[in-house]
Amino acid sequence: MLQTFSYVAPDSRKDLLAILNKEGTRAKILAGGTDLMVDIRGGKIAPAFVVDIKKIADLKGVSYSATEGLSIGAVTTCIELVTDKTIVAKFPIIADAASRLGSTQLRNRATIAGNICTASPCADLSCAMLALGASVEIASMTGTRIVKLADFFTGVKTTVIKADELVTRLIVAPELVNAKFGMEKLKRIKGHDLSLASVAVVKTGTLLRVALGSCAPTPIVLPDFPANAPLASILEVAGKTIKPIDDVRASKEYRKMMIMTFIEQIILRL
Amino acid sequence: MFENVPDNGLKYVGKGVDRIDTVEKLTGKALYTCDWLVPGMLFGKIKTSPHARARIIKIDTSKAEKLPGVHAVITGNELDYRMGLYLVDKHILAKGVVRHFGEAVAAVSAESWEVAHHAIGLIDVEYEVLEAVLDPVEALKEDAPLVHPDLGKYDHVREAFTPVPGTNIANRMKYRKGDLEQGFREADFIIERRYTNPSVQHVPMETHVSIGQWSVGDKISIITSAQSPFTVRNLFAHSFKIPHENIRIQIPYVGGGFGGKAGIHLEPLACCLSRKSGGRPVKLQATREEEFSLLPCRSGLVYNIKTGVKKSGKIVAQQMTMYWDAGAYADYAVNVTRASGYSAAGPYEIPNAWVDALTIYTNKPFGTAYRGFGHVEFSWGIERHMDLIAKTIGMDSLKFRLLNAMKPGSTTLTGEVISENTGNVTRCMEAVAESINYGQLTGAEKAREKKTGRKIGKSVVALHKAPAMPSFTGTSVILRMNENGSVSATFSLTEIGAGTYTSVAQIIAETLKFPIEKVHVPIEIDTNHDPYDWQTVASKGLLLTGNAAILAAIDLIRKAYEIAGQVLRASQCDLDHDGEKVFLKHHPAKFVPFSKLAVGYAYPGGNGIGGPLIGVGRYCAQGLSNLDKETGQGNPALDWTYGAHGLIVEVDPKTGAYTIIKVASAFDVGRAINPAAVRGQAIGGMIQGLGTAMFEGYYYDRAGRLLNPSFTDNKIPTSLDIPEEVDAIVVETPQIDGPFGARGVGEHSMIAICGALGNAIEKAVGANLTHMPIRPQDIWKALQTGAKPDSPGISGDVVNFAEAPLCSTRRDSGKHKKR
Repeated sequence: MLQTFSYVAPDSRKDLLAILNKEGTRAKILAGGTDLMVDIRGGKIAPAFVVDIKKIADLKGVSYSATEGLSIGAVTTCIELVTDKTIVAKFPIIADAASRLGSTQLRNRATIAGNICTASPCADLSCAMLALGASVEIASMTGTRIVKLADFFTGVKTTVIKADELVTRLIVAPELVNAKFGMEKLKRIKGHDLSLASVAVVKTGTLLRVALGSCAPTPIVLPDFPANAPLASILEVAGKTIKPIDDVRASKEYRKMMIMTFIEQIILRL
Repeated sequence: MFENVPDNGLKYVGKGVDRIDTVEKLTGKALYTCDWLVPGMLFGKIKTSPHARARIIKIDTSKAEKLPGVHAVITGNELDYRMGLYLVDKHILAKGVVRHFGEAVAAVSAESWEVAHHAIGLIDVEYEVLEAVLDPVEALKEDAPLVHPDLGKYDHVREAFTPVPGTNIANRMKYRKGDLEQGFREADFIIERRYTNPSVQHVPMETHVSIGQWSVGDKISIITSAQSPFTVRNLFAHSFKIPHENIRIQIPYVGGGFGGKAGIHLEPLACCLSRKSGGRPVKLQATREEEFSLLPCRSGLVYNIKTGVKKSGKIVAQQMTMYWDAGAYADYAVNVTRASGYSAAGPYEIPNAWVDALTIYTNKPFGTAYRGFGHVEFSWGIERHMDLIAKTIGMDSLKFRLLNAMKPGSTTLTGEVISENTGNVTRCMEAVAESINYGQLTGAEKAREKKTGRKIGKSVVALHKAPAMPSFTGTSVILRMNENGSVSATFSLTEIGAGTYTSVAQIIAETLKFPIEKVHVPIEIDTNHDPYDWQTVASKGLLLTGNAAILAAIDLIRKAYEIAGQVLRASQCDLDHDGEKVFLKHHPAKFVPFSKLAVGYAYPGGNGIGGPLIGVGRYCAQGLSNLDKETGQGNPALDWTYGAHGLIVEVDPKTGAYTIIKVASAFDVGRAINPAAVRGQAIGGMIQGLGTAMFEGYYYDRAGRLLNPSFTDNKIPTSLDIPEEVDAIVVETPQIDGPFGARGVGEHSMIAICGALGNAIEKAVGANLTHMPIRPQDIWKALQTGAKPDSPGISGDVVNFAEAPLCSTRRDSGKHKKR
C-alpha cells in the first residue's frame, strides 16, 4: 500500500524529543529505514510522521573509555561497525555480527539502533550485543534511562521503548573487552538472508556467555556460565530455554538441532 | 542449413562476438516498458483475491469510483471475454468465482499510482469461501471439487489437447511405444518410485508491465514487456474479435522472461481499462509480490516412474505417470504436459514405454512456460530414478546411463529415429565426467574431506529437449540495405537475454561476407513494421530465425547482383562481392560499391535502375507432424539438444549443510555460433536450475494462501551461491537443418542439474531424496533414517572413457575458477 506521511528531519535531539512527545504513536523513527520502509510499504504500520534521526550529530559515532566502555551512537551503520577500528580491535564480535547482516546495500544503510529496536527474534546484531551484556540508553523529554538489553525485548517485535522515547546509543561495559568470541548464523542461501537460527558466544578467563537468535519470541541470552563449564551443561540449559517454531523457513526440530550444533562448534573452537 | 555452408574459413560464426546490446544495457540507456510514459497515460492497479476458492457475492466499487482522480473501475461482471493459449478457460477478471489466491477481481485506472492504490483499497468484495482443491492427486478423486465445472464447454486446440469434462483434468496425453507388459515380463528387476516438486516463480528482473490503449474504431496499441509480440496480437484479436491489422504491439527492451512472458498477461486488462477511460492509455505494472500469484508460475509435478531392467543394465520397460499441477488455469501447462510427455524418459532409449501425462486443475496460482518447459521438473524424477536403478542392480550409474543413452538408430517415445546428426549425448556425459574426475576423489578432494569433516560426492546426469511448438512454426527476416551499404535486419524474436540477436547478426555478416559492424539489428519490436515470428520460446529462435536470416542475406545479394550485373555488363554468375562492393570475379578492378546500389543506381547520365535493396527470408519447420491421440506417435521435434552435467558437492553429514564445489556442463549445440553466448547460457541456466534444486518453491497454508510471495521467503541464488568452479563445454555434432549446423541451448542448461545435485548428495552421505528443493534440513531429516553413503562418487566401478566411441569433437568454451 502506498501511504502518505509527513517527513521531518530535526537537527537537534531537543527538537526530536519534542516531536516524539507531541505526536506519540503517530510518529515513527527513521534511522536506516531498511525495516521501516518495508513495513510502511507492506501496510503493517501507518505513521503520520516519519522522523529521520540521521541529521542529529550526537547520535553518530563510536567511542571507548576505560570507565564506561564502548559507546555506539544510534545511527551508526552496519558498515561502520564492520570497519570501525575501535570495534574491530576491542569488540570484534560486533563487527562480525554486522558483517553477516543482509547484503552490502543493506549494511550501508541499516543502523545498530534500528536493528535492535525492530526487535525481531532473528535480528543479527542482537545476539552479539546480548552476549556482550550491552545496555541501551533511552532518552525522552523527561530524561535519560539505561536498560540492559536482556530486559529490553518484551516479545516479537516489541520492546520497552515508549512512544515518546528514543534509543540514543548502545553501551558495552569494559569487562568483556578483547573477549574471545564465536558466531554462527543459519541461512537458506549463501547470499543475503535473515537468520534461521543463530548463536553468539563470548568467553573471558572467567566467564562464558551464550546468546541465541531465531529460537524464541525474542533474542535470548542464557545465564552466565563459568569459563570452564562443560559443553553438556551448556547444551542442557540451551535445550530447556529455546522454543523454536515451525515455518516456511525451517522446522523447529532442525532449528533446535542447528542451535545445539552451533553451540557445540563454537565452544569447541574457543 | 548445414549443407549449404563451408565448414571452415568462417569469420564470425564460431567467434565470441560481443553482444550488440551491451553498451545500451550497461549504460542504462536501454529503455524498458516500465520506463515508457505515453501522452495522456493513466495508471492501473488490480484488486486481487485473498482466497483460493470463493464465490463472489458482491463487489462494491462505489467508494472507489467517487475518489478524485479515478477514471475507471471495472469488475468481471462487465467483461465477457475468455482468454487461453490452447484451452480458453480464463476470464480477464474473475467472474462469479475466484479460483486461486491472487486472482484479479477488479481493476482501476487513475491519474497516478497513488490514487490507483488508494482506490483499490476502497473496493469492497464480499466472498463466500469454498473448499479448495490444492493437491493434484487429490483433485482426481471423484468427490473433489471441480475447479472448472464448465470445462466441456471451453474451446480448445483439438488437434493437440484432450480435456476431460466433469473432472479436473485439463489435458490428458498418452504415449504408447512397444509392448509394456512384455517388457516388464522380460525384466530382471522392477523398480518404482514417486518424485515431487512444487511450483516455482520465474523472477525476471523486470516484472510484467503493459501499457494498453483502446482508441476510436477499435484500434489497439500496446507497449508491453512480453516475449512474443505476434502471439499477444493473435490472442488479443481472437478474444476481442478485432482484426489483427487493428492491433499494434510494441516491445522495447525486455528485462528477462524465462517463459513467464511468453503468452498474454496484463495486456487485455490494460486495454479494457483504457476503453473505459475514454481511450486514454493505461499502464499496469506488477509489483514483485504480484509476480508470485497474480501472474503465473511454473507448475508443480508429481511423477511416478516404474522401470523394468535386465541384469545387464538394459532398460526394457518403463511406465511413467505425470500429475502436472497446473493451478487454476491451463495456460501453457497443457503444452508443458504434451512436451514433457514425449521427452519423459530423458535421453535414454526405452523399447517398451507407456506415458500418461495429466494436466490437473487445482485452486492455486496457475502454471505457464518456464525455461525447460517441464523438463527441469521431470528430469528431477528421471535422473534420481536412474541412480536408484543403478544402485539397485549394482552398476555404476554413469555406466548405466551410457548403456541406455540415445544413439543413432535409437527411437524416441514418439517413434522418431535418432540419426548421426541428432547429437551425441554420450560425448556430453563423457566430457563432464572427465572434467569432474568422476568415480574417484583427487588428492586435494581427500585432503578437503579430512580438513572439513564433510563428505564429497560426484554425479553425472544427462538431458535432452526439443522445442515444443506447432508443427508448422514459421518466422521471417527482412534485410534492408542502407544508403551507405550497411544493412538493417528486422525480425520479431525478442531479445530476452539469450543473446540470439548477436548470433543472428553474426549469421547475417557471415552469409553476406560483410563486416559485422555493417549489420545493424534494432532490439525493439513493432508488429506494424516488423515481419512475423511465432514466439520467442522453446530454444527454437536461433535455428528458425537463423535459417531465415541466411535466406534473407542470400536474397539481398542476389538482388544486388541483378543490378550490378547490368551496371558492370556481366552475367550474374561472373560476379563476386566483398563487404564493400560487387566486382567481376576475374577482374576485381571492375566493381560497383554497395553504397551505390543500396537505394537505386544512377548511371553517369543520371538514368536510374534498381531501387532500394531489400532481402527477404522466411523459414518454416519441416518434417513435423501432429501426434496420434491414442499412441502419441508422430514427429514433434524440430531438433534435440543433448547435454550433461557433472557435479561435485560436499555435505556435512551431521547437519545436511552442503557446498557445490564444481559443476561441469556440456551441450551438443551442433555449432556454437557464439561460444561466449553459449557459455553465458550454460552458466546462467545452470545457476537458475540450482535455485530450483536448492531452495526455490511455493509454500501454501491449508486454505491455499501463498505463504512466501516475496524475496523474504522465496530466495533465489545470488552471486555468492555460484559453485566454486564452473566448466562449460560444447560438443558439436552439426544439425542438418540448423544454421551453420547450430541448434538451440537457451533452456537446456537449466535441465537435470537438480538430479545431479540430488544424486551427488546421496553419493556423499546416503540421503534418499525424492522431493526438491533439497534443503539442508531435508538431507538431515533423510539421514535420520540411518541410510548409509556410497563410496565417494561411485556406486560401481570407475568407467573407462576410452571405451566409448568418439564421433564428434569436444571444444572448451572457457573455464572459470572462482577466486
